[in-house]
Amino acid sequence: MDIEKFISELADQYDDIDTSGFTSETLFKENEEWSSMTALSIIAMVDDSYSVRLTGDDIRKSQTIQDIYNIVFSKSTV
Amino acid sequence: MRFPVYKYGLFFRLVEETDAAFILDLRTNKNLARHLTSTDDDLQKQVEWIREYKTREKSQKEYYFLFEDENHQPSGVVRLYDINDDTYTSGSWLAKPGSDEFLSIKSDLFISDFAAEELKGKKCVFDVRKKNKKVLRYHKMFSTVIGEDDLNYYFTIDEENALRKYNFLKSII
Repeated sequence: MDIEKFISELADQYDDIDTSGFTSETLFKENEEWSSMTALSIIAMVDDSYSVRLTGDDIRKSQTIQDIYNIVFSKSTV
Repeated sequence: MRFPVYKYGLFFRLVEETDAAFILDLRTNKNLARHLTSTDDDLQKQVEWIREYKTREKSQKEYYFLFEDENHQPSGVVRLYDINDDTYTSGSWLAKPGSDEFLSIKSDLFISDFAAEELKGKKCVFDVRKKNKKVLRYHKMFSTVIGEDDLNYYFTIDEENALRKYNFLKSII
């Protein structure tokens, strides 16, 4: 897995805010666009791209993009 | 189905006239309701709308649900409408700002449970505004586009995909 690619894929789930400054340390829930639909978009993207099923708890306990990347990495069999 | 129903950590019940102020707050919140039909900021009109809705509810043409958290604080609403012999529509979903991230999933699961019990054999058809990109992505995962116009895409979902969606959502919460 490649963190830069992951950041870009996660950023694609946001439609309204500027994500050009997203890094691994970005607090991905701390913005005005964050909602259940963003969470679901991220879960669907991860399911589709990495064949990993994130849960609500995975999202709840993650703060930064690195946090969520680490969870996906640990669950990934690729 | 007897109300209130406790599922997925929420209490679901049918909307009453006394919920008018809560619903009006949600529907006149520009951020929340930007993809819904606009609503006049008029409490009396909202009360009257609910009064008329209750007659549609009585004839099983429409169900407007309010969901509450564990402390019985109202969290949001969702509606099933245009119920006829073969189809029904789901929509009007709104939740209070700052609510749990997965309220939409929980309420969607409840809608599936309710439909399986009370609307057996009917197919869900619904529309999503083209500008509502995230909701579109969500529905495109499970549902089929059956039409479009300038404003909306129109979807339906068959039984097999409805089950796939239900299992996917249940695996998340």
